[in-house]
Amino acid sequence: MNWRRLNTALHRDLGYLCVGLTLVYALSGLALNHTYHWNPNYKISRYQVLLPPELLKQTDPQLLGQAVLEHLDIQQPLRNHYRSGPTTLDLFMEKGKIQIALDSGRAQIEYARPRTGLKEINALHLNHPRRAWTWLADIYAVALCLLAITGLFILRGRNGLRGRGGWLTLAGIVLPIVVLLL
Amino acid sequence: MKKFLGCVLSFLLLTPAALADTPLGAPITLSQSIPVSDILAHPDRFVGQKVRIRGLVVDVCAKRGCWMALASEKGFDQLRVKVRDGVIVFPMEARGREASVEGVVERFEVSPEQRLRRAKHLAEERGQKFNPDDLKQKRIVYQIRATGAVLH
Repeated sequence: MNWRRLNTALHRDLGYLCVGLTLVYALSGLALNHTYHWNPNYKISRYQVLLPPELLKQTDPQLLGQAVLEHLDIQQPLRNHYRSGPTTLDLFMEKGKIQIALDSGRAQIEYARPRTGLKEINALHLNHPRRAWTWLADIYAVALCLLAITGLFILRGRNGLRGRGGWLTLAGIVLPIVVLLL
Repeated sequence: MKKFLGCVLSFLLLTPAALADTPLGAPITLSQSIPVSDILAHPDRFVGQKVRIRGLVVDVCAKRGCWMALASEKGFDQLRVKVRDGVIVFPMEARGREASVEGVVERFEVSPEQRLRRAKHLAEERGQKFNPDDLKQKRIVYQIRATGAVLH
């Protein structure tokens, strides 16, 4: 087997092997790249309600919290409560929070629902699992380098490295340098 | 046989309690917890010290999970727990749970520009309108640079 055939075979097999990981990194990369515009891990919804004054007469925060959940027909159990200010009471549920202004009766209900699938691949992208994933990510990085290098030598002729391929390769190298210089 | 069933039953009964604790980051090594209110009352005494605190999680960084706030047991006040990005990711589901945290107490000054930026960022993250009163927050900030935590 000559080196070109070996090169093509290596590129092909690494390509198949890297499909899953490339999608994990590419999709989560898109999600995490725009953290300033959206929350890549949770879908947060908020709405406001006005609680009836008679409900707020209850002075025990635990009992008030339970009464509020009942009034709002929220099925989640009350996990905890906290007086964040002299006239503010925070109620915590497993997947949300209610902040009540005790003087006005205004309440902000907030639900934080994990973006299933995306949250998990974001965690992989940022290497939250550590341990074995660090090794796997390192191997993947080396495999990507090999994919890039072997890819250069697959085609010959006009579309290869000495022709169109060469110009495209050069553009790919120059682009990040230009961005850094700007 | 009875002994075996006893063991299985004890295991089943004890497991949910054991699983209820969620360790995050490096294991906690200190055995004694300092009340959050003690640190908030005399923060300079603790600057640079490694401490263990325990308190109710009342807020979590929604986008990155890079900080959380633990309530003082005396109410109306809270201490921020910060981690370097990726060291620990605090889940939003931690809100309302008790947490133990180990880390070093830090003190730093924030400029008016930083305060403005932070107040705007927090208002946006909480879905609230920017309130200029938030700028009245302390110029000197104390926080715990955490290395490990356990959600109870």
